[in-house]
Amino acid sequence: MAKLSKEMVHLLGNYGHIGFTFVAAIFIGMGLGIYLDQKVFDGQTAPWFTFIGLAFGIAAGFKSLFDIVRLQNRD
Amino acid sequence: MEHPILFISIILEKLGLPIPHGPVGHGFLEQICAPYMTYTWFTMIFLVVVGKMTLGNLEMVPGKGQNFWEILIGGMENFFLENMGRELTDKLFPMIATFALYIAVANLIGLIPGFMSPTSSINTTLALTIIVWVTHHVIGLRANGIGYVKHFLGPMPILIPLMLPIELISNFARLLSLSIRLFGNIMAKETLLGILFMLAGAFFAPLPIMVLGVLVSLVQAMVFVLLTVVYITQANEHAH
Repeated sequence: MAKLSKEMVHLLGNYGHIGFTFVAAIFIGMGLGIYLDQKVFDGQTAPWFTFIGLAFGIAAGFKSLFDIVRLQNRD
Repeated sequence: MEHPILFISIILEKLGLPIPHGPVGHGFLEQICAPYMTYTWFTMIFLVVVGKMTLGNLEMVPGKGQNFWEILIGGMENFFLENMGRELTDKLFPMIATFALYIAVANLIGLIPGFMSPTSSINTTLALTIIVWVTHHVIGLRANGIGYVKHFLGPMPILIPLMLPIELISNFARLLSLSIRLFGNIMAKETLLGILFMLAGAFFAPLPIMVLGVLVSLVQAMVFVLLTVVYITQANEHAH
């Protein structure tokens, strides 16, 4: 029982933050895109920087996912 | 979020100090008397006093109190040694171990009626996270010099325009995810406990959530420390 719960805590610690990191990356990418569209270029380039930022955000999310997996496989 | 009873706030109010009624006060004094500030001080005083009481006179044959701290600190040091190596552990052990103890205690006191967790305010967790984030960049810069930039450039030169924004975004995402995860988990626990206490406190409805709260508190403290160690280790390595 003690061993099981210790292992569970370890798993929670190692993998419990995957979802949040993924979402945070997407939010930051898309927020940056919206900021560029609305504030810097005053809405003239309207949807484009948002989409580019969203794409970069999703890519960054997957990259941090791969980082976590690579880190766990290394040892 | 309104707590049912916060005894430090009540004592301060009786002493005539201004207590903010929103999440954050207006004047300087009111901001200092906000519950998350007073309970942060409470946690600090608690840790210092307990440490002083149990470790006041160190002995060769440890007693109960000293044994507890030796196991705790020894376990943490072994964990850091496995992940960071000797040099970084010696340099950073005080900071990270303090964070671990502070976050664990701050999460756990929220389970006692009359207390709140200072970590259920985004101000506290964001402050902790910014310290960690700046530290891991400073460590990286000192270890790798200007070559630290290579961490953000990806595997080959032709991919730089693609990899640079991705790396920067995922680096800033650390700031966001580290702070909001701790804040969200602890605030959810506090809010749930408060609501259950109001609805059916007489029938011990909050008890199962309290059991889960112990688990969540310890796991979140561990996750924070684990991620701090991982980030610092990654920053210290040479770029691949």
